[in-house]
Amino acid sequence: MSSSRAQAAVVGIGTAGFGAMAESSVAAMADQAVAAALADSGLKRREIDALLVHIGSPRGLDYDEMAMLLGLEVSYATQTWSHGRFGSTVIATAAMVLELGLADCALCVAAFKNSSFTRIGTAAHVAFFEGMREGGGPHAETPYAGLAAPIGGAAMATRRYLHRYGIDREKLGAVALAQRRAAQQNPLAVMRKAMSREDYESSRFIVEPLRLLDCSVPVDTAVAVILTRADRAADLRAPAVHVRGYQGLHAGADEFIFGAPGLGVNQAGVFDHEPLGGQEPVYRRAGVTPAEVGTLHCYDGFTPQVLWTLERFGFCAPGEAADWVAGGRIELGGELPVNTSGGHLSEGHANGWGHTLEIVRQLRGQAGERQIPGLSVAQWASTLGDSIIYASVAG
Amino acid sequence: MPALPAEGDLLELREFPGEGDGAALLPPRTAENAPYWDGLRERRLMLQRCERCARARFPVAPVCPHCGAGAHSWAQLSGAGIVHSWVRYQRGYLPEFEPLMPYEVLCVSLQDGPRVFGRLLGGGEPPSVGMAVQAIVERFGGGDCVLAFRGR
Repeated sequence: MSSSRAQAAVVGIGTAGFGAMAESSVAAMADQAVAAALADSGLKRREIDALLVHIGSPRGLDYDEMAMLLGLEVSYATQTWSHGRFGSTVIATAAMVLELGLADCALCVAAFKNSSFTRIGTAAHVAFFEGMREGGGPHAETPYAGLAAPIGGAAMATRRYLHRYGIDREKLGAVALAQRRAAQQNPLAVMRKAMSREDYESSRFIVEPLRLLDCSVPVDTAVAVILTRADRAADLRAPAVHVRGYQGLHAGADEFIFGAPGLGVNQAGVFDHEPLGGQEPVYRRAGVTPAEVGTLHCYDGFTPQVLWTLERFGFCAPGEAADWVAGGRIELGGELPVNTSGGHLSEGHANGWGHTLEIVRQLRGQAGERQIPGLSVAQWASTLGDSIIYASVAG
Repeated sequence: MPALPAEGDLLELREFPGEGDGAALLPPRTAENAPYWDGLRERRLMLQRCERCARARFPVAPVCPHCGAGAHSWAQLSGAGIVHSWVRYQRGYLPEFEPLMPYEVLCVSLQDGPRVFGRLLGGGEPPSVGMAVQAIVERFGGGDCVLAFRGR
């Protein structure tokens, strides 16, 4: 993608943790995460010259107050839409800013609270107005039809998916169980209680066909990630995690956050999706093959998103992911460990930032009990086609 | 099976059986989407139809999602469709729908048209993918009208 000296690398991570932080200000949480990331990297606050903010108000801090309240002076600032789907875009934009020489040290921050708001989907929640968008809600929310909350669109896509491929819905449980087992080894995870197959299958339906244990757990959090170029990263304290390649979020009539392409929910078309697999540009840009990916981390607001991501990126054929994930394949010790922090389902819904921390820890060899032996390449991917490939060595 | 309504027929009208006037549930009215919402008040399903490729589209958009053309006319659809997918709400989010719990929402492939979302009227057969349905108009207490579906 760029010469290895100019390639971006993660050099510092920090977090305020995950869970209800009702008494805390978002600024205090962000400060904790940023201070930890600075300490991790060994960089000074004044060396940060780019700030990239995810989420923002009303759940979190916007870029201007983030800079003002945290004592940052930057010459490049940006902020994305207040939805988790833009997590990888924030990191990729930071990488571009560095690679283009617009800045030397980029700080990415996602700091927000969900505990301050009522349940998502209700009219009192700050996101309710999104159901009134001219194009419909971002998860197909359609309040006048009673299609409320992100889970409505997720359940709609899940039903179609199960029907199309003749899949038993209980097979979704393999994802929930695998991620809970991983979370049990993650001190930061909010859901660490053992989950049995029976627990999963007896958990109540929220919006059929999705059960409570198919759903992620809302949390308050702050996560900070600092990137520099590889030449600078070499002098810093922590082992650099190189951003080897990336590709953006896809958008268009056929792109819906839930389901692999072709499922036809919302206005997406109905067609047979032929995954590009190893031909996805991210692999060429990173100079790796899918077979070299040692762990996959993907957006998991609901269990089936893991299946759709595996299918979209060609780890298995369309319709086969529910069987593919069975038998421990995506668990620690399996062929392709997925969301080894527990992900949104069990660590807590941090809009992809808990996954990013985990990728960095795993590639540094700092994942403790969860450490994947001999890991050198990790991938982020989502159902909307965005992806980042990280590696412990520069490209 | 009753005969399919022909284009031009008026859709069956029912009063919304839930709570409230529905005013908080509808998107803002614009010059562009008015024919859709006005059509429902007149018990007609009116959608934009592309002048180039002749396909109907939803939601209201300046450009055809299939061929990219801008020119369109408004066409009345029969409201007949097939269930593409469906969900059942076991947890309530909106007070308007609380009295209807649990209730089902359909993703319907309209005959000669796009997919739309609508509530399935209670009391009939449980939904299934592939089930034939017919659009009706549900009127909220405040007078706003939306699409809903019943089996056919």
